[in-house]
Amino acid sequence: MGERGFYLETKDPIIKFAITEKFLNLARANSLWPITFGLACCAIEMMATAMARFDIDRFGAGIFRASPRQSDLMIVSGTVTKKMAPTLVTLYEQMPSPKWVIAMGNCAISGGPFVFEGQYNLIEGVDLLVPVDVYIPGCPPRPEGLLEGLMKLEEKITGKRRFPTPEAKW
Amino acid sequence: MVEKVKEALRIKIADINITEISYAERGYHLSIEAQKGNIVSVVELFEGKGFYLADLCCVDYVDYLELVYFFNHHKELCRSRVTLKVESDRPVAPTISHIYTMARWYEREIHEFFGVYFEGHPNLTYLFLHEGIDYYPLRKNQIPIPADDKKLLNSFKPEEEEDAFFINLGPQHPSTHGVLRVVIKMDGEYILSAEPVLGYLHRMHEKMAENRTYQQFLPNPGRMDYMGALNFNLAHVTTVEKLCGIEVPERAQYIRTITCELNRIGSHLLWVGAFLADLGGLTPFLYVFDDREQILDILEAVTGSRLTYCYFRFGGLYNDVDDAFVDATKQFITRLRSRFAMYEKLITKNVIFINRVKGIGIIEQGMIRKYGSSGPVIRSTGMPFDIRKVEPYAAYDKIDFEIPTGTTGDNMDRYMVRMKEMEISLGIIEEAIKKLPSGPFKAEKVPKKLKPPRGDMYHTVESPRGELGVYVVSDESDTPYRMRWRVPSFSNLMTFPALARGTLIADAIATLGSYDIVVPEIDR
Amino acid sequence: MNTLTEFYYVLIFLTVAVLFTIAPVVIAYLISPRTRGKKTLATYECGIEPFGGAWIRYSVVYYVYALIFIAFDVDILYLFPVALSYTKGGRVYEFYSLLIFILILAFAIIYAWGKGVFTWKRRIQ
Repeated sequence: MGERGFYLETKDPIIKFAITEKFLNLARANSLWPITFGLACCAIEMMATAMARFDIDRFGAGIFRASPRQSDLMIVSGTVTKKMAPTLVTLYEQMPSPKWVIAMGNCAISGGPFVFEGQYNLIEGVDLLVPVDVYIPGCPPRPEGLLEGLMKLEEKITGKRRFPTPEAKW
Repeated sequence: MVEKVKEALRIKIADINITEISYAERGYHLSIEAQKGNIVSVVELFEGKGFYLADLCCVDYVDYLELVYFFNHHKELCRSRVTLKVESDRPVAPTISHIYTMARWYEREIHEFFGVYFEGHPNLTYLFLHEGIDYYPLRKNQIPIPADDKKLLNSFKPEEEEDAFFINLGPQHPSTHGVLRVVIKMDGEYILSAEPVLGYLHRMHEKMAENRTYQQFLPNPGRMDYMGALNFNLAHVTTVEKLCGIEVPERAQYIRTITCELNRIGSHLLWVGAFLADLGGLTPFLYVFDDREQILDILEAVTGSRLTYCYFRFGGLYNDVDDAFVDATKQFITRLRSRFAMYEKLITKNVIFINRVKGIGIIEQGMIRKYGSSGPVIRSTGMPFDIRKVEPYAAYDKIDFEIPTGTTGDNMDRYMVRMKEMEISLGIIEEAIKKLPSGPFKAEKVPKKLKPPRGDMYHTVESPRGELGVYVVSDESDTPYRMRWRVPSFSNLMTFPALARGTLIADAIATLGSYDIVVPEIDR
Repeated sequence: MNTLTEFYYVLIFLTVAVLFTIAPVVIAYLISPRTRGKKTLATYECGIEPFGGAWIRYSVVYYVYALIFIAFDVDILYLFPVALSYTKGGRVYEFYSLLIFILILAFAIIYAWGKGVFTWKRRIQ
């Protein structure tokens, strides 16, 4: 598929000053509400991230809403097949702006381990359908990987990283 | 049983071709060649003798297609293979869906993947594939779909009726089964009909098996059922080992048993959390993940992955276990045993849970043979059928354990069966650790490029969801000619439309949750 | 004229309540980016196109529930002036008259209960 599946027309807000944008982005980054879009194996790791050990709720992103009208982050975790693609695009369009997409796992990045010659049912990467902000590699990525992806998304929204990157010791 | 079946078949159909096969070589006892004229009478005979249809698949030998039916008996092990050759150009075969109801979905699947037309089938529409496909995927050559068949591609479009309210329990929903879509026709709060639509996660595993060598296919079974990945891995590895005649050392067998049982406990724990979350109680979800993280830590140190394991190799294991593994497992067993009392107080004695779950979703024993269900679903109706006892593999024949059964077959019984299975698995692990022998963990002299001899092999394994079967056809090259996976959730899900009719929607969702389906294994 | 000035408090309360509800809507309209997609305004049904209409005949149980609710909502309205003037009296017959009023309403609920409005069968054919 050469062109993206979704169609969006975005207009700027009526009041737009730099200082309000700064505070609004800080608020948005610290309370991202994901939509429950677990497709395959990566969904189990996403659930494990939401549980008590790797708590995603301490970063404000722990309220998984079932309805796209109440969420602003879509974590595509799992393989996207050709049968599922229209559903994904519809749900993306039904989310209100501003919205972000995290492609979690190898299948969402570029088709994953299921790309072979003669494949007939796979969308090789969810960025062929919707614009992706953060890619998290892994099959499935560890919960710490998903949390790092969340940190990167917060850095993309606010411009500042919440925790400093540790220095490489060796 | 084998003799009785042979006699009865010879009496009923005079010139039928029956061969008795050695079970160790092929995984089945009898091989029967049927023709189009007498296949229905053969199947009726098996049904009359109390067999259930374990699998219905198709293999494409380019000049002809072969439909393969596997029958098995719950009380006495007698696996029989019935083959039916059909022509490769516009193949037609008689349907058996009036004898075994589960054949409806199996025949639809064969129709869309191979192009076989079944006469007399009530609803031969597409099940898995999407609307843009224009050839039959699993055929060896690319055969396009004929134009007058394209109308069957619209897999699910209900007729427009008055006063019927259709609602989609869509592919995106907050429960954790996966991408399962159920189209429900409702009257107020009651369900008139529920129809699952599958194929939203069809990842072409069977086609990949034909394009990959046996070693290259090893990561795939873990992705099919990510909750019980080690059991799927074990099925794949054991089938190929039996086909090649590779002996697995004792230590590897015991370690395979231990890790598979740990995986089973992990899968049941997550099912408990997901089931309660479907009913609305979100607290047990957090508690079970706490226990599951302990299992994942133990297995990660040995296998290297948290979820989709690929630990077994042909001839043994990838890595040996050390004392740290054994100590950690013993500690885990003690800890989980002490947690069961807490789960009992939190869930089992909870009045709200009992009222939501008792007496709902009753499966009768007569339905089991018609639909080919397996696993805790049939054990909850009182049938003590467990592949680990009937056809032992790995080290299960050396370990003594009992099979938990329920009485009525409602959701409560399925819950109790799974809780008891967890306790029994802890006992199995303890005994296996005590008996763990020392020795090599891998067979020597396993060739790098595995080329099994010509032939086929069928092997079953008890996954946490039920009876998992692998059927491998090999043609002496290093890629399988056909690898067929008979998954338990596919047959279990078929009983859902019958059970959900006329119930409240909340009860139907509770029943769906109690089946413990994992959609990627249905869609393969 | 004196009691009329006490209604100014009610007017202030009303104005603040209306502003309290309208303010978040206005603020959100001013500072949010506006996005329109092809399917943005479609009905949400788990990502699939909904088929079949929604204007169908419903089961009559819902109607009976709504009727009972409306009846009791209006009864609560009658209890408001009683609540305001209750302490000014202090005589015991006020309590008994209120009790009889509520008992008469309760008979309606017991009648509905006996008729089976509140039970939902687990399975229908």
